[in-house]
Amino acid sequence: MPEVLEVRQRSSRIVLQVVLALLTVPFLLPLVEMVRGALSGIGFENFVVVWETGVIPTFFKNSILLSLGVIVLVYAGSMTAAFGFAKLRVFGKEVYFWMMLVALTLPEVVLLSPLFVTFIELELYNTLFAVILPLAALQLPFAVLLARNYVAGVPSDLMDASRIDGANLVQVFWYVIVPLTKPIASAIAVLTLINSWNSYLLPLVFLQDRSRQVVTLLPQFFIGEYTNDQTKILAAAVMAAIPTVLAYVGVQKHFERGLSAGALK
Amino acid sequence: MPSGARRFAGTTSRTRSRIRPNGLPWILPAFVFVVGFLYYAVGYTGYISTLDWDGLSPDAESVGLGNYREMLADPVFWTALRHTAVFWAVTFVGLTVLGFTLAAIMHSGVKFPTLHKVIIFTPTVLAPATMAPVFRLYFADDGMINDILRGVGLGGLARPWLADADTALPALMLITIWQWTGLWFILYYAAMTQIQPELLEAARLDRAGNLRALWYIVWPGCRGTTVALAMLSFIGTLKTFDIPHLVTDGGPHRATEFLGTYIYRVGIRQAHIGYAAALSVVLLVLAIVGAVVIGRTNRARAGA
Repeated sequence: MPEVLEVRQRSSRIVLQVVLALLTVPFLLPLVEMVRGALSGIGFENFVVVWETGVIPTFFKNSILLSLGVIVLVYAGSMTAAFGFAKLRVFGKEVYFWMMLVALTLPEVVLLSPLFVTFIELELYNTLFAVILPLAALQLPFAVLLARNYVAGVPSDLMDASRIDGANLVQVFWYVIVPLTKPIASAIAVLTLINSWNSYLLPLVFLQDRSRQVVTLLPQFFIGEYTNDQTKILAAAVMAAIPTVLAYVGVQKHFERGLSAGALK
Repeated sequence: MPSGARRFAGTTSRTRSRIRPNGLPWILPAFVFVVGFLYYAVGYTGYISTLDWDGLSPDAESVGLGNYREMLADPVFWTALRHTAVFWAVTFVGLTVLGFTLAAIMHSGVKFPTLHKVIIFTPTVLAPATMAPVFRLYFADDGMINDILRGVGLGGLARPWLADADTALPALMLITIWQWTGLWFILYYAAMTQIQPELLEAARLDRAGNLRALWYIVWPGCRGTTVALAMLSFIGTLKTFDIPHLVTDGGPHRATEFLGTYIYRVGIRQAHIGYAAALSVVLLVLAIVGAVVIGRTNRARAGA
């Protein structure tokens, strides 16, 4: 496509580049502040002190387990549902679809009271399941929406051909749909990962035991440990942020494509 | 036609589509999980909202619509609603202007596009809970904002931004804009690739300037994205919790109280679960009504 802004003169090009830089720099400032704060006082020793409390690996392990659990549920649920919605006959299909989509408007805070009561009854309170289940339920609708659009674009001829060859629906799903939907699957996985990794309210309420807590609760843990020492809290924040930033930069291309895939049909 | 060759969706033939395989078993797992889980929770919330209950004691007293009557007379509820409305209006306009502008600039052959993209998008992937302590320092008396103001000779404006009831809410708006510009930018950027090149070329031939082309061709071309983002940010604002809870805890003097933080305060901290549930029901109704209204407005305008 042609450029949205047509800038021919060299001087105007430079102006545009400078404007872009000026607009971009403010996005870096809080990150600079984070590192500056974490390195003030005793400097890098802050990180050593935080690491030596020994809790970091536990919090990370829990975050990984939590995210994996949510990703598995969301992936399995969204791909099978997308196959049904996009390629098969379902009576009253759109009713089912919209009943799921309405859940997109549901704020997490609405779930707190009923789930609190229910999880205590089911003895799920203070386990990772108490966070995995609601997070997966909250993220599935959007994943189904993304996957349905994508599966609809898979040529039906391919499926017809494998049916003629005698494949049953499960085989069609496994050998045609799953391999052909890898791009949207990775986008869903990345989105789900970020949302689960960053979730805060549900872990805050449902994970009381320190051995079960996740990285978003790290700053609070250190606020409890070092009330007046902001440098330790920021060092913990840096350690929580680094894997997220690395993961994002690593999959940046996928991520962008995935987000755009949801927005454009 | 062999029985194995049943047609899948996308076929134009009605007779054929009638014998497509039944997909119900395929959608049921996700459907039952989402609808069962979430609708159960919402229904239960509706029931709790008619009780006067602390969530643990066996004797919950039924109060009918008492909690809702209490809400209408509760000034904090109205304050939280007002904050939500102002917060949404300001952040939506800010994000849209910034995201659209950045997307247009990045579509104009500037250097280092990936570097800028990564910098702008990184805030979106960072957990608000992780960044909250950073922002408490950032806006503090000896934080970076004040350092910069003093550095450029505007030291008179320096203040503890989050401790001042007049500036706490705007500070949270800035945090939100910082966090979400990346998403706005990426979606506008993608939408701009869908604009028909002929339209832009025609505008150039008519010697329309860049600003006119932006306003008459690119901006209308991104309408669908703008509406989707309006809906997303409306629901997002209603859901706001992490940042006001962790950065200002709703203060000072409730200057940054939102429905989410208020529900948490009432329900979890004060164990007044019935009232929190009533607030939750209203929050959910507002989210659904808002999404429907924005969607409708869009369709009406598109038809006009």
